[in-house]
Amino acid sequence: MNLIKTVVAASCLWASAALADPPPGYPFVGFDAGLAAARASGKPIFLYFGRYGCAWCDHTNKKTFSDAALKKLYTANYELVYVDAESGKRLTLPSGERITEAELGARLKAFATPLFVYLTPQGDKIVQIPGFKTVQDFRDYDRYVRGGHYKQKTLLEFLGGKS
Amino acid sequence: MRAAALLLAMLAAPAQAAWEWSEAVTVNSVQGAAIFPHLESANRQGVAVSGDSVGVVWEDNRDGTPQCYLAIKPGAAAEFQPEIRLSQSACYEPVVLALGAGRFAAAWEEAGSVHARVWPGGSASRLTTGEAAQVTLAAGAGKVYAAWAEQAGRFRRIVVARLALAADTLGVETARPVEAKAPSDEQGWPALAVAGDGSVTVAWEDRRDRHTVPLVSHSRDGRRFSPPARLTDHKSGSVGGLGAGTGAMRPTLAAWGPRGVAAVWLDKRDFLSGYDVYAAFDPGKRRFGKNLRVQDSFGDNMAQWHAQVVGDASGRLVAVWDDERDGTPDVWLADWNGKAFADNVAVPAAAGPGAQSDPVAALDAAGRLHVVWLDRDGQAATRIRYARAERR
Repeated sequence: MNLIKTVVAASCLWASAALADPPPGYPFVGFDAGLAAARASGKPIFLYFGRYGCAWCDHTNKKTFSDAALKKLYTANYELVYVDAESGKRLTLPSGERITEAELGARLKAFATPLFVYLTPQGDKIVQIPGFKTVQDFRDYDRYVRGGHYKQKTLLEFLGGKS
Repeated sequence: MRAAALLLAMLAAPAQAAWEWSEAVTVNSVQGAAIFPHLESANRQGVAVSGDSVGVVWEDNRDGTPQCYLAIKPGAAAEFQPEIRLSQSACYEPVVLALGAGRFAAAWEEAGSVHARVWPGGSASRLTTGEAAQVTLAAGAGKVYAAWAEQAGRFRRIVVARLALAADTLGVETARPVEAKAPSDEQGWPALAVAGDGSVTVAWEDRRDRHTVPLVSHSRDGRRFSPPARLTDHKSGSVGGLGAGTGAMRPTLAAWGPRGVAAVWLDKRDFLSGYDVYAAFDPGKRRFGKNLRVQDSFGDNMAQWHAQVVGDASGRLVAVWDDERDGTPDVWLADWNGKAFADNVAVPAAAGPGAQSDPVAALDAAGRLHVVWLDRDGQAATRIRYARAERR
């Protein structure tokens, strides 16, 4: 039993290290696994595009994703995907194209990390938001995405109205 | 308005006068809306010129799985010959090297190991026994070298091999890790250059400092390597206890001048405008100097991608990359003028509407520049395009 616990603990440590810098304690998975899970569950995807060693990612993890209620909200309602901005790890886009995680940055026109991307369960982009964000910001984005407001309004229009 | 346009044209004229371009031709003979060609590889070695023949390698999924292809354009031909498939199973990140007199060596990752083949005439051989990827090739002083990222326990590390060519088959003569000790974090995307004095330089991405930093090492004989040094002169670390430092990735190298080596990579030291293209030079002292920004002011406030440097023994040096300064991805280049990188110039056939990106390039013995890129136009098929330029 102890051996099993040790192996499980080592696996968690390895998974955490291999994924670089997602916030601890969240069930982030790779792009392909997250897309498959979203298609099965019907939940939208919350894609965290981070960089290994990124200070603002670290800041967001510590200041924002440490919030227990936010963790519960996002874990329950999204398939959580972490992508490493400089990784050569491969992923397959909904189109069927296979690219690297780093190449996804070029496709998203990423200019800074962290970059947060909300996707439909089919992998279509809803909105992408760069930089440090607060707990309240992520609550607002959640309402915008899961409330379906993105079908009628831009995020700025939605936030301006604070509906 | 006309005066302003004339002024702009005059200002642009000196830069554009440097290269005279051929008509672009399409390289890949099979295209389709769900076929996705890729030119990505370690050191971005997707094109080589051997004798007067041009060889281009890429990966695409036309057969349902990713496979690697080689297409040749003989010097007298206007078009590329139909491509040959290099691989048998899932294949990624192929590279091509000129062996001279119209012969080429290609290498690629297939089913988790590194394979190579000489063309024409050769058959594919496997270069690694363990799990390995991201191979690159270089030649000089009568020797052929390869470098790849090889699994060593939990992480990959960089291995440099001297290759032997016998009966049109490439094999490994010696293969040594750059560092004997086990890697403490991930290493990958090696770039190789053999300088005019026969010494070998290898650069790679390294995460031992908990962020991605290009490191570089030198060897006189391709067997024993110097302790790794940073390619970047930018000192970064955690900020107020947060993070570990800025990122820099995908180093590329080119032999340059009589004994020199030039490096170009993507660097996020200005972390609010995406990756920039940076360069450094080793004039022959086996130490890289001050970093220089390659893109000009017009490209400063946006991300650059897919950068590569190409050079030759006479001192010619060109950097290529893509960025969206004109609204859509275009291929840009900058010539080294001996003191700085000149104003950026778009490759004419790789600029304008649609997306032209992922350039790979080579300089031939006569100093002509050969550029290959991906051309995507909306939902249409992706074409691999080629053009050649001569100095006016």
